[in-house]
Amino acid sequence: MKKMLSILLILLTGLLTLPALNLKAADTLVYTDSDYARLHAVIQHVDNVLKYGHEYNEDTKLIPDAINTLTGEPARWTFPNRAQVPYADIANQQNFFRTLVALSNVTGSDKYKNEAVDIMGEFMTNYQSPNGLFYWGGHRAINLDTLEVQSTEGPNGPHELKNMMPFYELMMEVDEERTLKFMRQLWTAHFYWSTTDMNRHGSYSTAYDTNVFGQSIPGDVIVMDNDGNPIIPQDSPGLLPFVNSATDLAYAAFALSNHTFDTVPAEWAKYLMRQYNLASNPITGMTVYQFKSTLVSKSPIECSDPAYTNSGCGDRVARQFRDFGVIAREPNVAWKNTQAIYVDNILMLLEAADKYGVSHFADWARDYMEGYLEYAYIRVDGRNKIIPMFIDGTVTYGYVVPEVGYFGPSNMRIDYVDMPTTYLLPILRTILQQDNDADKEKLWSYFRDIVYTFGIGDIGELGGATPNLNIDTSIDDPFALMTMVELYDETKNPAYLEVARTIGNNIVREKFHRGFFVQSEIMLYSRLDQPDTLALLTLDAVLRGIDLDDMPFYLADSGYIHGYLLSDDGVVEDRSYTQNVIYTKTIFDWE
Amino acid sequence: MKKILFTLTLLITMIGLIGCTPSDTVPTDDPVVIDTTYALLMDAEDLSGMADKTKTIIRVAGSLGLPTTYRGVTITYSSRNEDIISNSGVVTLPTECWIESRDQQGLSKAEFEGLNDNWPIVLDVVLSYQGQSRTAKLLFVVAPAEGFTCNKYLG
Repeated sequence: MKKMLSILLILLTGLLTLPALNLKAADTLVYTDSDYARLHAVIQHVDNVLKYGHEYNEDTKLIPDAINTLTGEPARWTFPNRAQVPYADIANQQNFFRTLVALSNVTGSDKYKNEAVDIMGEFMTNYQSPNGLFYWGGHRAINLDTLEVQSTEGPNGPHELKNMMPFYELMMEVDEERTLKFMRQLWTAHFYWSTTDMNRHGSYSTAYDTNVFGQSIPGDVIVMDNDGNPIIPQDSPGLLPFVNSATDLAYAAFALSNHTFDTVPAEWAKYLMRQYNLASNPITGMTVYQFKSTLVSKSPIECSDPAYTNSGCGDRVARQFRDFGVIAREPNVAWKNTQAIYVDNILMLLEAADKYGVSHFADWARDYMEGYLEYAYIRVDGRNKIIPMFIDGTVTYGYVVPEVGYFGPSNMRIDYVDMPTTYLLPILRTILQQDNDADKEKLWSYFRDIVYTFGIGDIGELGGATPNLNIDTSIDDPFALMTMVELYDETKNPAYLEVARTIGNNIVREKFHRGFFVQSEIMLYSRLDQPDTLALLTLDAVLRGIDLDDMPFYLADSGYIHGYLLSDDGVVEDRSYTQNVIYTKTIFDWE
Repeated sequence: MKKILFTLTLLITMIGLIGCTPSDTVPTDDPVVIDTTYALLMDAEDLSGMADKTKTIIRVAGSLGLPTTYRGVTITYSSRNEDIISNSGVVTLPTECWIESRDQQGLSKAEFEGLNDNWPIVLDVVLSYQGQSRTAKLLFVVAPAEGFTCNKYLG
């Protein structure tokens, strides 16, 4: 009888706990066929990139920046002497490395990460200058025919990184010593300690300085006038502190400090970022692309031609937009280079806040974003736009430029600027890094409008309540995808995940062609730095219950090569970017 | 003991029955309640006609006829330059040009006359409905009044 009683009691207990067990089961995500189809597309793409990339020259593990999806051949840079050079610029392949590591994470197979380690290892071992800089970036690449370093900017192109934010975690794993040497030399080559000037170009001849961060941190460059407005020095001898280069400098210094436990590099990074913060407009909160203007070093006669835009003639905005008075300075423009300010730099600030404990960077990111959206964000004809203005809120919309200058030809009319989907992630991550709801509300309101206007539907109220998303959205954008994945990860509201799946399916349908991810079906080259595959793997990770903190994180896809080349007409020597000469080619351009 | 056993069996059966109510296993046709307030607030911006006159240069003083309601949504405006467009949407044509343009040496040229006479004016909009609200912006371009002056070079 006692036995029977025991059995009954066990049954009773089991029944009482059943609802809890059911709840847990409901929380488990089901991995569907379409989920696998997306992963399979990424695997095919990666396998093809590796197959064709390695096939071209079996003497190297390096692979090209872009692959011709009709032939499997590498993209080639055509020099003015007609030499067609297949190239590998490792700075432009960072999202591919992140994709490889992410793919190993979701599949459980080490082979993809091992590929990343092998490629990176060969590069780091063979292509680091004696002074510590790597042969990569805007003006240097590896010739995949000769395996020699190639310069696209004359015979000795400088080192240049602009918002490339290398995958330092991988580099550290591959070769700690070389990575640390590079991080230190990045500052030695690009930062002028005595004057606090900064040069986006770094020399491969600058000697390696073992005591690179040894100087004391100076006083702030930016001081305030009696009205509390920042005074922008006009003393930079052509060495302008553009935020796109500063973002890479700061990121390297934070990663260096984090790895070595030496806080000094991080203090220099904070100092550098503080100058941009101090130069921000105290009323609007909008921030700057640079915190200095150039020193006038050329003669008035040389500079009398408005078409001569050399920075030695002084601030180029002051010259071309002089009608606006003193606000017309390069640092104060809020309609050009905004991606570098409000996307790339914000993502780095938030990364530093999140991973390296620089919590006030999250406050700065909020100030910048709130100011920019409050003053400049507008919906026009159902599209997300930016009202062109200076950072004090002076609108420049409709202004007709009287004379030619750095910003364009005479009679150019300043119009609204498109707000691309790249803005989604920095806005969302800024919101997610605020501690209090009160600090999130304003940004969430703009974010809600922006997402809606991109056709994704209503994300609902702050915190993810009551979304009314467009489950059939046609958007096929990796930033929208990562946004929905990160929203789901934060709120666990499955509505975001469902729309993320739709976006993921759209990406595969619209961008996966001939075995590669391309910008669209007709585009010829598959670019290794594209963010689509990393975004798809981020979704896959969440579906598998992998913590996003354990996945490679999207930071930028700004890789490019800039330099001299032969135009498509085969005659004229030109100076351009891969974005203009490689990634604009369609399959119809291929004979 | 039999009584106890009977009671326990009854209890288990009841719990089992309660645990297997149709609502847990069979999908119902109950409509999901979706709050459409936000969509209405977006429609109010897109469909109320508030942006009708943002496509042309405004050359006549007077009311822009900005809507203050749309399907129950309350719409208010706040001008960034009340001298030219008031918060109620009334235009006063300015008596001077927006910007006087000159060449790099600061000299006036005939070809620059009239280049930048028209003023861009931003209005901030608040749309509210049943305790929810969102913001929007409108940008109008207003021409100066006849006989306007243009001698305000800032360069």
